[in-house]
Amino acid sequence: MAGVLLNSVGKTYAGNIRAVSDISFAVPDGGFCVLVGPSGCGKSTLLRMIAGLETITDGEISIGGRVVNQVEPMHRDIAMVFQNYALYPHMSVYDNMAYGLRNRKTPEPEIATRVAEAARILELEPFLKRRPKQLSGGQRQRVAMGRAIVRKPQVFLFDEPLSNLDAKLRGQMRVEIKTLQRQLGVTSVYVTHDQLEAMTLADMLVVMNRGRIEQIGEPLYLYENPATIFVAGFIGAPPMNMIPLAPATGVPAGILGAETLPVPPTGAILGIRPEHLHLDRGETALGDRLRLELKIDAVEAVGAETYFYGHLGSTGPRLVVREAGRGSASPHGIRAFTADRTQIHLFDKVSGNRIEL
Amino acid sequence: MEKRAVFSHKLLPYALLAPQLLVTIVFFYWPAAQAVYQSFLIQDAFGISTEFVWFENYQMLFSEPAYYGALLTTALFSTAVTVLSLSLALILAVEADKNLTGAGLYKTLLIWPYAVAPAVAGVLWLFMFQPSLGMIGRSLHAFGFNWNPYLNSGDAFTLITAAAVWKQISYNFLFFLAGLQSIPKSLIEAAAIDGAGSTRRFWTIVFPLLSPTAFYLLTVNIVYVFFDTFGIIHAVTRGGPAGATTTLVYKVFSDGQAGGDLGGSAAQSVILMLIVIALTAVQFRFIERKVTY
Repeated sequence: MAGVLLNSVGKTYAGNIRAVSDISFAVPDGGFCVLVGPSGCGKSTLLRMIAGLETITDGEISIGGRVVNQVEPMHRDIAMVFQNYALYPHMSVYDNMAYGLRNRKTPEPEIATRVAEAARILELEPFLKRRPKQLSGGQRQRVAMGRAIVRKPQVFLFDEPLSNLDAKLRGQMRVEIKTLQRQLGVTSVYVTHDQLEAMTLADMLVVMNRGRIEQIGEPLYLYENPATIFVAGFIGAPPMNMIPLAPATGVPAGILGAETLPVPPTGAILGIRPEHLHLDRGETALGDRLRLELKIDAVEAVGAETYFYGHLGSTGPRLVVREAGRGSASPHGIRAFTADRTQIHLFDKVSGNRIEL
Repeated sequence: MEKRAVFSHKLLPYALLAPQLLVTIVFFYWPAAQAVYQSFLIQDAFGISTEFVWFENYQMLFSEPAYYGALLTTALFSTAVTVLSLSLALILAVEADKNLTGAGLYKTLLIWPYAVAPAVAGVLWLFMFQPSLGMIGRSLHAFGFNWNPYLNSGDAFTLITAAAVWKQISYNFLFFLAGLQSIPKSLIEAAAIDGAGSTRRFWTIVFPLLSPTAFYLLTVNIVYVFFDTFGIIHAVTRGGPAGATTTLVYKVFSDGQAGGDLGGSAAQSVILMLIVIALTAVQFRFIERKVTY
């Protein structure tokens, strides 16, 4: 078992194209690290650099205390699960899982034991003689996992392994991956663009954007304390409401209580998560709260909660409110909502960085 | 899942098939039937009288030592050309599939020989290897090799083999390259992570996945060697010296066209046809089983 350490890692492609820059983080032994970001943010490139499939042009990557910059993928003691599973189509499920062990000259009885063990864990026993073509998407996904676990590597690498599955199966496999990783205790690095997958799987979340790290931390810490506008907008669904505040023009119409916010001269963005806005029950004292008036254009009741969509002060930015239980509002009417001051976020409009309140 | 078109009109499917069927019947079944019929006839030298003789042409053929010579030559020639052109094309394709500088030019140049007609290819090779005029022929003499495809049957065989291989490599190369490019890169990467070195990756992953292509090419190459190499042989050696490069198809031509033995020639082409049908059937029956699609 081993941790993974990245020390100011960068990648420049021919033609001076920077894919990733200045990436440093440490995944502790047995940790589950998720790299998340929009497509093109460099997360897959970074994972492939850890695997040894891409060269490292700057910095150092170590696995288990050994610098692996110049080490071939086969000698890094890692296993990778690919987005398209990359199963060998001409081999049976058994041979797919045994391939890596055979290459390493593991004795056949040992291979049989390990494959049987993996097949039992992944419930693949009835399919060992089949070809990948004869399996469903979920079963192929399991074979890809099985191929990784029979090797007992120091590190698992996952490259968007669930993105080819339908939504229901994805949810199910997500839980299975998490359980399996806990059970085996193998250090894992997982790449996804799906923030829900990222939030639920990670012990440690690395949010990336344009080849750089935006923020690193535990998923809920990031949810509650986003360091930048990007993280605030990327983590959480529906996304955080963003209201531009300019000092010159004053507070936009429809907000009460925002005058005392420390807005810098260049402007700020006020962020409020949809679940932190609540229907105004008509309290007279505003106290430590902001009051927002929305011109409602849609109400969605989904049972356990109700979503209100509307424009701030009738012409301002569009906001979403998630209210627990059932609320009512007639479309086109004006409704007031309140938000607790301790639950709002403020960001510098120019740098995008968080302003502590 | 199978998709089927359903035609409401009964005659329409036949009408749509008609052009293809017509071409096949006129250019394949008709001549083939003619050949079978012709092989039962003996004509006199002036073409005045024709006699129906059943299998006499075949009997004569199998009592002729030259025919067995042509069979052996064909077997050697087809084996040499198929093995060489397939393996060389595979090596070239594997190299071209790597990220080389100038890979595009390299690929284009490799494809050109396919556009050369067999007879022209033969003439080009003859020009180069002609013992007294050809550049390479003269060089070989300068280096002390007694090279002469006009007199030495081994030299003649080597020359037509080289020309036939050169011509066929392009075609095989194209298919192998396409086959290589259709193998997902992640499979190779997965194998690399799974601890397979590049040689082992080739034999355990790449080659098995290329086997459908290789199988198809094997069939096409054998048919090529049996029939299409006629142009090369005719241009370079005319079946000589002393029949050393007379393959079955060349003997059909020389006996029938030059020797005037139409019945015997027809009998030979019927046998040739049966050999190719048998070879193809064997390939599909036994080799295809080991091929993974």
